[in-house]
Amino acid sequence: MASRANLRTGAALLLGLAAVALAAPLLATDQPWLARGAHGLVSPAIGSLLGRRPSSRTAETAVLRAPIPYSPGRVELEEIRKPPSTAHWLGTDGLGRDVAARVVHGGRVSLTVGLLAALAALCVGLPLGAVAGYRGGWTDAVISRIVEAVLCFPALLLALVVLAMSPGWLAGLPDVLRIALVLGVTGWIPVARYLRGEFLRIRGSDMVSAARASGAGHGRLVVRHILPSALAPVLVTAAFAVGAAVLMEAALSFLGLGVRPPTPTWGGMLNEGKTYVMSSWWLSLFPGIALFLAVLGCNLLGEGIRDHLDPRTDR
Amino acid sequence: MSVPSLGRPARRVGTGLLTLLLVTWVVFLLCHLVPGDAVSVDLGEESIGHRLPPERVAELRALYHLDQPVVRQYGMWLRDIARGDLGRSFHDGRPVSEKLGARLGLTVTLNALSLALMIVLAVPLGAAAALKPGSRADRWTGAATYALYAVPVFWAGLLLQILFSVRLEWLPLFGLESPDARALGVLPRIADRGAHLVLPVLCLSYGGIAYLSRFVRANLTESLHGDAVRAARARGLSPGRLLFGHAFRQASVPMLTLAGFLLPGLVGGSVIVETVFALPGLGRMFVDAVFQRDVPVIMGLTLLSGTATLIGIVAADLLYAVFDPRVRRG
Repeated sequence: MASRANLRTGAALLLGLAAVALAAPLLATDQPWLARGAHGLVSPAIGSLLGRRPSSRTAETAVLRAPIPYSPGRVELEEIRKPPSTAHWLGTDGLGRDVAARVVHGGRVSLTVGLLAALAALCVGLPLGAVAGYRGGWTDAVISRIVEAVLCFPALLLALVVLAMSPGWLAGLPDVLRIALVLGVTGWIPVARYLRGEFLRIRGSDMVSAARASGAGHGRLVVRHILPSALAPVLVTAAFAVGAAVLMEAALSFLGLGVRPPTPTWGGMLNEGKTYVMSSWWLSLFPGIALFLAVLGCNLLGEGIRDHLDPRTDR
Repeated sequence: MSVPSLGRPARRVGTGLLTLLLVTWVVFLLCHLVPGDAVSVDLGEESIGHRLPPERVAELRALYHLDQPVVRQYGMWLRDIARGDLGRSFHDGRPVSEKLGARLGLTVTLNALSLALMIVLAVPLGAAAALKPGSRADRWTGAATYALYAVPVFWAGLLLQILFSVRLEWLPLFGLESPDARALGVLPRIADRGAHLVLPVLCLSYGGIAYLSRFVRANLTESLHGDAVRAARARGLSPGRLLFGHAFRQASVPMLTLAGFLLPGLVGGSVIVETVFALPGLGRMFVDAVFQRDVPVIMGLTLLSGTATLIGIVAADLLYAVFDPRVRRG
């Protein structure tokens, strides 16, 4: 019963955050949703989404504004570090930018990096874990030793080293892709470790032994019996990997080594929160809540899938 | 308890040494990802080669063995490490081992205090939850665990600072000691340092407390339902003796191995916590070295943390064998 609650809460949190992130250009924009122009009603918000430049020549009067009527990059120097108010729900930052707009847009970066990094981690971790668990013997020994060696380093430390040493081609990539790749390099370890255990378990299961006894070859075993059973563990690790990557991206941006400003990111906003910790609590509180909910959602979803598919772990 | 047989522990130390070799590979390979090398490759403003005349670059390359083939470089690096020589910092030219030594104390203190706090808080919490499954304590620690896992350390640090330092003004905001600490007597000065460490330690340990308490709960629950405890209960032992005489003894064995796995988290946490609270420890030094692309310092610190963690894991495994007769004989 508890596992159902985990699954639902996690899925709801993530769907909610993803919806907000997807809709961010419409939710938080200084272009009005509807405006009355010279030729009747127009929608500058949708217009700017389609790449049309806002027309400054024709006078338009806003009829309907976005719920957060600020763009994340809009600087208002007379509105620097204002506490939450009716004008700026979550306050403004050190350049007078609206915190709510930046939190909403920051989710796009965090979730994109999280998904891409998890994908990269799966691409490396899944084959290694599967081969180690399924083949056993020498293959397993070699892979397990490597995993053990890399496990001796905290993931954050590894990511920082790779960033510091990143070769030119990596440093030249767009930030989101670069960070996702770096986090993939460090994120495959837990994936491989968990999947190795799961493949080992599946290989030893009665179902697979029975299939083998009835003469199934490697190919048939893997495709018909092992892969379907392995789908659940893969989903579980994917969920945890996204959560871990979101957390790591935020940590890197917090340290000033992640996605660079002015792109809004939750970690980058918390970095500014640190600068103004004495005076402006809202700069620390709100981006952190968003980050917390995203990571919590991933973890709950992962736990939920695990418990749902494997009743034995339900303690 | 008899002396453990040599076979298994010796084998564990053997695989540990093998892993140590792999650890040095990881460090070396990571730091040689850049084609060319750290001195002469063009990394923009940050690189040393950018600012120096060519003959000085050649000199530096020779100093760091960068004019040798990679395999030889690795061999020379290993030989230097074995002699305790970690090279010199690109940034200020001081020996890396000296720089590390100067800051080791703070980070070790921070981590030791955090580990102690974890155990002191998590064991009773986990035990309370295991003794009364479904009770308020159990449900509370369960929910708190999920929540705490998802709280980023740097966010927790900021919130603690805002609450305890800015609003309540109970504790200092950051730093190692107050500006006027030198004028204080010995005891007030120790108290001042202690006050500066409260929030960092709290920050570094909350995740472990959450994790460890669930782990203690799971293991105690298992041993409380095991044969040994059932037999003891049948003999009429009091609940207290059941718990401390039997269940805990059994549950402490898997807890040992966990301690080894908590170490990487602590090291990673130190990087963040020392940044948030402006503490001059190894973690902060690492971030600075990354910004400065100070390769010898990065390599030294990475190697140090990897080796420390490995020793922790192997030591935990060995202790496990001492305490668990089944493993010892196996």
